[in-house]
Amino acid sequence: MTTEASPTHPPEGNRIPMSATPATSATSFTVPFDPERPDLTADTDIQNEIFIQVFNSGDGELFNRLYLDDSISNFSGEPLTGAARLAFFKEFLASKPTLEARVTHSYVAGDVALIGVEYAIDSTGPDGEPVRLEGVCTDVLRKTEDGRWLMAIDRPVAATGLVADQ
Amino acid sequence: MSELVAELENHTARYVEAVNAGDFETVEKFYTADAVAVWEPGKPLTGDERRKYQREFLEARPRMAAKPRQVFVTGETALMIVDWTIDITGADGTTEHLAGVGVDVLTRGEDNVWRYAIDDPFGQAS
Repeated sequence: MTTEASPTHPPEGNRIPMSATPATSATSFTVPFDPERPDLTADTDIQNEIFIQVFNSGDGELFNRLYLDDSISNFSGEPLTGAARLAFFKEFLASKPTLEARVTHSYVAGDVALIGVEYAIDSTGPDGEPVRLEGVCTDVLRKTEDGRWLMAIDRPVAATGLVADQ
Repeated sequence: MSELVAELENHTARYVEAVNAGDFETVEKFYTADAVAVWEPGKPLTGDERRKYQREFLEARPRMAAKPRQVFVTGETALMIVDWTIDITGADGTTEHLAGVGVDVLTRGEDNVWRYAIDDPFGQAS
């Protein structure tokens, strides 16, 4: 898929940083993406690219906007929602781990979608050693009333490492 | 939240009852109108194709058991990870035993009823 900078993506100079968010002007996206009004879209490839690029931005507040407020993320190993989820994302992404993900299957049924991905996350351990987490993740997306697609539930199952519930 | 989890676990139990009764009309009510079922890996079925497969499958009178391993509920959306087995006795009297870990996505309709939107019985490797 050919992707270009989105015309809806504000030019860097015109970005208005949200008060609670450090300016993330270093973050640029190769897919159509509006940080103020994220939409994972109904396109599986675009979903995966947005998810990867926002994750790799290291901006936990921005990553959290891919989820609805009451969405459930199991990234931490336990189901988190709301403020607890945001706090985890900010802490987890602050060290800028890098995500690779490949979609293995995708089904859409009306306003809900099920996506399966294989992922690998590279980060740095407490002693500076490289740490790689690998596994498979099941994602459920919902189409919101305003037509955007956002994460409703994620459930990673790790083959190695800590991002897992079992 | 625990009430919702209990409701969804009960949903699974009632679905299994309907399957074991071979009752297509009741089983069909457990699915949304545009549900996707992936009873054969890599072959999602929807609409009339899904219903035809379901009807023929039930005519073989499968015996099913299922137990939710994990239930996640948020708003009108639920994800269930379900351990299941199905035994089907063929015309020659031999029994085929199937087992898997299913990934079910349910949505709650405007009538407050939960239904399967996506039924992926081989959705998790183990």
